[in-house]
Amino acid sequence: MKKPDRSKFPESKTITEAPLPTANKTRLTNNIPVFEIEKGNEDVIKIDFLFRAGNWFQPKPLVATATNEMLNEGTINYTSEEIAEVMDYYGAFFKTGTNKDTARISMLCLNKNLEKLLPVLSEIVKSPIFPEKEYKIYIENKKQQFKLDRSKVSNLSRIHFNEALFGKEHPYGKVLNYEDHEYLNPEDLRNFHGNYYTPQNCNIIVSGKIKNGTHNLLEKFFGNGWQSNQVKKIPEFTPEPTDKKEIFTPKKEAVQSAIRVGKRLFNQHHPDFAGMNVLTTILGGYFGSRLMKNLREEKGYTYGVNAIIISLVNEGYLLIVSEVGSKVCRASIEAIYEEIKRLKTEKVPGKELQMVKNYMMGDMLKSFDGLLPLSSTYINLVEHKLDERYFQNMIETINNIKQDDLLEIANKYLNEDELIHSIAGTCE
Amino acid sequence: MVYFEKFTLDNGLRVIVNQDKTTPIVTINIVYNVGAKHENPERTGFAHLFEHLMFEGSKNIPVYDTPLQMVGGDNNAFTNNDITNYYLSLPKENIETGFWLESDRMLELALTEEKIEIQKNVVIEEFNQRYLNQPYGDAFKILRSLAYKKHPYQWPTIGKEPSHIKKATFQEIKKFFYEHYAPNNAILTVAGNVTKEEIKELTEKWFGDIPSRKLADKKIPREPEQKEPRKKEVYREVPHDTIYKAYHMCDRKNEDFYATDLISDLLANGDSSRLHQRLVKEKNVFNTIDAFITGDIDEGLLIISGSISDKTDMKKAEEELQNELNKLNQQPPANGELEKVQNKVESIKIFTRTSTLHNAMNLAFHELIDDAENINTEINKYKEVTPEKIQAVSNKILKENNCSTLYYYSKK
Repeated sequence: MKKPDRSKFPESKTITEAPLPTANKTRLTNNIPVFEIEKGNEDVIKIDFLFRAGNWFQPKPLVATATNEMLNEGTINYTSEEIAEVMDYYGAFFKTGTNKDTARISMLCLNKNLEKLLPVLSEIVKSPIFPEKEYKIYIENKKQQFKLDRSKVSNLSRIHFNEALFGKEHPYGKVLNYEDHEYLNPEDLRNFHGNYYTPQNCNIIVSGKIKNGTHNLLEKFFGNGWQSNQVKKIPEFTPEPTDKKEIFTPKKEAVQSAIRVGKRLFNQHHPDFAGMNVLTTILGGYFGSRLMKNLREEKGYTYGVNAIIISLVNEGYLLIVSEVGSKVCRASIEAIYEEIKRLKTEKVPGKELQMVKNYMMGDMLKSFDGLLPLSSTYINLVEHKLDERYFQNMIETINNIKQDDLLEIANKYLNEDELIHSIAGTCE
Repeated sequence: MVYFEKFTLDNGLRVIVNQDKTTPIVTINIVYNVGAKHENPERTGFAHLFEHLMFEGSKNIPVYDTPLQMVGGDNNAFTNNDITNYYLSLPKENIETGFWLESDRMLELALTEEKIEIQKNVVIEEFNQRYLNQPYGDAFKILRSLAYKKHPYQWPTIGKEPSHIKKATFQEIKKFFYEHYAPNNAILTVAGNVTKEEIKELTEKWFGDIPSRKLADKKIPREPEQKEPRKKEVYREVPHDTIYKAYHMCDRKNEDFYATDLISDLLANGDSSRLHQRLVKEKNVFNTIDAFITGDIDEGLLIISGSISDKTDMKKAEEELQNELNKLNQQPPANGELEKVQNKVESIKIFTRTSTLHNAMNLAFHELIDDAENINTEINKYKEVTPEKIQAVSNKILKENNCSTLYYYSKK
């Protein structure tokens, strides 16, 4: 038996390449782009529809979310209950979701059940009717959900942070109010669906074990017969940030305060995105990051703290987020600002930089591994109008970026007077 | 099918290899047979605190995370009432670093008073974040203490109270390590593009010289049968009244387990489930409702929780819920309805297999309970459940004398 030498780091290899995911790109006859990603250990298939139908496009608050969440509450030929029965009986996982830019419809099922499910799925996508009765229950539950959400400090800190970054009237900053639930009606949802859930506004991503007949099935249910004349103009908005440095939302009895620190940056198309991504990872993008070391491992102020660049279709922002003991709230914010400042004044030590590079490459490998990570990585590309070159560029940056480059980026984008922070809870 | 091979080292370490040629990533998972149920009632939260300490450096490696991140790896861990589970994933080329890290911290930790103090604080902040700073955050903690009088499932993994964590001493921590962290108390799974031969060589090299240890006596008191309804009311700063009902159920190896799991699915898994259709959609006495089993190794709980609609009140909602439970007791489900939840179980099991991490974790967990092969055969046990079996098990479980009810009122 070989004896291990425990005192030495075992031999290892620096990972400088990753096998990029590829998609077979085709179109249906009505011109909908289809991205097929073959990933087949098990006989399962996942279909995702992306529509440019997020908050950005809504004529009034809540329309985008409500439309998306009520798609399966009744269609021309199926009641809400029948839809639920079919989805459950054939073991499908059906999910919808919206964000600021995009509306998604997603179904994961066993290949053997796909043909049974498509007639229902196609009605959900193309011909929902938003029945009055279901709408009433939906909106009542939504109101209760609203109250629950607003009782959490993490949500309070988030919405006021976004409002300060982008302004009250901008779709990325606008805050939903309780009264908004009253002003909505099912007709709004029908109109929104008619205007934005159209073939020309749609992308389809298929992943899993893709069979010979899969494309024909998609064509049958979502191709030729599905047409629309709607050409909607894309609304335009300009961010109007407030000049407040600190936004404080009190919540008595909170034992921890939720804090957010950050500033506006740019979207993923910007030439400095990749470099800024490396810098953000150093700051707080992994377990051994500077913020985790400082706030968690050295001071014990928090269970966790993260830094990330939030990417929206038209914008992006740096976000540092944590929940900290109320007594150390001020001290935590100071420590975060201090760590940001350090990125501007000190070179990142070579060893630390190498570690972050290796970590990021490993992380990228993982985002290409397994059906669900791969599909969500690809959906993200399509949503942000990117292609595989995005990863190629990220890999090149990770491999080549130098200490001086990072110093330059930090000084270009991390000016203290542009940073803002939002606190919700009690801060002593 | 999840293909795997097993072997055991002389020191008692059990090893499972799951070959998956399609992935560039290797996952290494170690489950230790120690959880919150093995804790001293005066030192609850210990197993979980210990999970944190396992990242604070070992005999030859001052910081666990640094070398792992250096080779492109990532890791995490969780503790529950039964087990503590650690996993890491890294590029296949660098697999040996994973073995070096995991074996060194099984061999010996390098703890200091200072490191322990800091992790105590981190855990207390975790306690605050998860239990105190979330609306309804303490509900399951209260429910456990109501449902269990003898069995250590009465406290949550995080512990009964932060003071227990504060009081932990260096000596106690050391003792805990040697009584639970041992090759003969662990199962190692490796999943990825690897062969059994390769893994055998690596495990023998890195884990082979770690001695077997004398384990703590694991006699855990059994929970006596509940004889009468238990009820408790609390008032909190939360937006809505919420009801929680916990019913005692069988242990993980009992043949009733599968029927019980399906009962929770019939009740509330999916939009077409009974409670969702009848109580949320039709009558709207609840705005959300959920039913699930805790899945514990010893006798666990089937829990139903529902957030009550503003238009109704707690008592009325409970009555409507009770009606639905009575229906299940009085009449077996139709074949089609049972088939539906069985199909859903089949789907979930297959979807889960698309993740190497989940395969590694589930193989180890099944081996710990009984046999890793159950990862493939368990689905048949779900399919064998008949409508009559559902009714029989339902009658055994879903009755007030077997139930602890928590009325969680909004302080308005």
